[in-house]
Amino acid sequence: MNLTVALARMLIFPGLLFAVPAAWFFLWIERKATAMMQQRIGPPFMQPFFDFIKLLGKTTPARSGVSGLLMKAWPLIAVSAAAGAVGLLPVLPTSGGFQGDLILLLALMEVPSICIIAAGFSSRSIFAEIGSAREAVLTVSYNIVFLLAIVSIAAAQHTFRLEALAQLPSTPLRWLGVAAILVCLPAKLHINPFSLPNAEQEIYSGPMIEYAGPELALWELSHGLEWVAVTGLVATLAVPHLPAWWLDALLFIACSFGVVLLLSVLGAATARLAVDTTARFYWRCTLLFGVLAISSTLLMRLRS
Amino acid sequence: MNILAMLWSNLRRGVSTFRFPERPAVGEGYRGLVCFNSELCTGCAICRFRCTARAITFTSAKNEFTWSYDPGQCTFCGRCVEGCKAHALVQDGACPPVYLNIGELRHVYTMKRKVPPSKSATTIKIAALGPPEGGAE
Repeated sequence: MNLTVALARMLIFPGLLFAVPAAWFFLWIERKATAMMQQRIGPPFMQPFFDFIKLLGKTTPARSGVSGLLMKAWPLIAVSAAAGAVGLLPVLPTSGGFQGDLILLLALMEVPSICIIAAGFSSRSIFAEIGSAREAVLTVSYNIVFLLAIVSIAAAQHTFRLEALAQLPSTPLRWLGVAAILVCLPAKLHINPFSLPNAEQEIYSGPMIEYAGPELALWELSHGLEWVAVTGLVATLAVPHLPAWWLDALLFIACSFGVVLLLSVLGAATARLAVDTTARFYWRCTLLFGVLAISSTLLMRLRS
Repeated sequence: MNILAMLWSNLRRGVSTFRFPERPAVGEGYRGLVCFNSELCTGCAICRFRCTARAITFTSAKNEFTWSYDPGQCTFCGRCVEGCKAHALVQDGACPPVYLNIGELRHVYTMKRKVPPSKSATTIKIAALGPPEGGAE
């Protein structure tokens, strides 16, 4: 493990250079799968890239004061954090480099959500503020389950290190934790039925309403990187470690792809829920799932 | 579970939309672009009066008038065609073409005002025809 390898891993693979095309690819898969389920032809393969380039060419509205500066900063922070989270994924466990742990990955994955909340309030638009408030409620609701699931997995395997988790054999408790994480993913990625913070028809994309041009492009990129990070996390925990690195990487990609398809089906099959129903769902129904995962893990640890 | 069955059947049936610039086939009675026949137009401007989308404009001078049509503003409701007594307007039975610049499909016609038949000539013509059969005495 040296600095060069660590940098290469953060910037090239599975870092920024790999993550950005992967983010566009995942965004395309989600849009295309949804379109095909609705009997539409859907966007062409390069559409997310074209959207990004088109937005880069547009002018950003002039903003003054501290709120203007903050509005410019939030998408940059969100993209950096999401790219950092992707860089931590142990796609190639034997490659060495900086070995981030689950806690750092979770922290980085939470930064885009916090940035979205802050951006909405910085923009001073009523629609953005409503969207930010919804995002805050959603974050508090699903994160309890998400964190309980992660802690249960880490406690069951006696480690927080991502590489170690990727290499350890799967247990039933780990699968319970992965299932709990999967329940949280639609809310984390703002997919139906939990797309209330960026409801296009009701609040005109909520916190994004005042954004245009390169800043909006960065938000889109951040969203794509979030897709890569969370599906990658599920793949890391779900895919069994294989001796051949190429088979390992292939399985990792296939699992991420499967999760994207699963989430696309869920998004196409459901309608948006109201904020109170969403909060009730996570606090009443799904919380039991997380509690079950953590209590089972603790019982297993006490017995052993 | 019905929704999943529906999504699956949608996937199996294939797509029913088109990739740009391919256009769908249209059925009989399709209301497309408004086509103007300057030979038949009398310059009554009823089409301008009936056009609530303001796609048709009409400016009148002493000896000529200008009629213009902007498909970019047209809602293809067909009220102008219905109101045209001279049948100078018809609607195209195909999808409007794709255009890239604003006003590309706009048509402007400037025409000489047709001289209406004189009042005396009309009276003579009616007199020559005689009283209508079965008319009131």
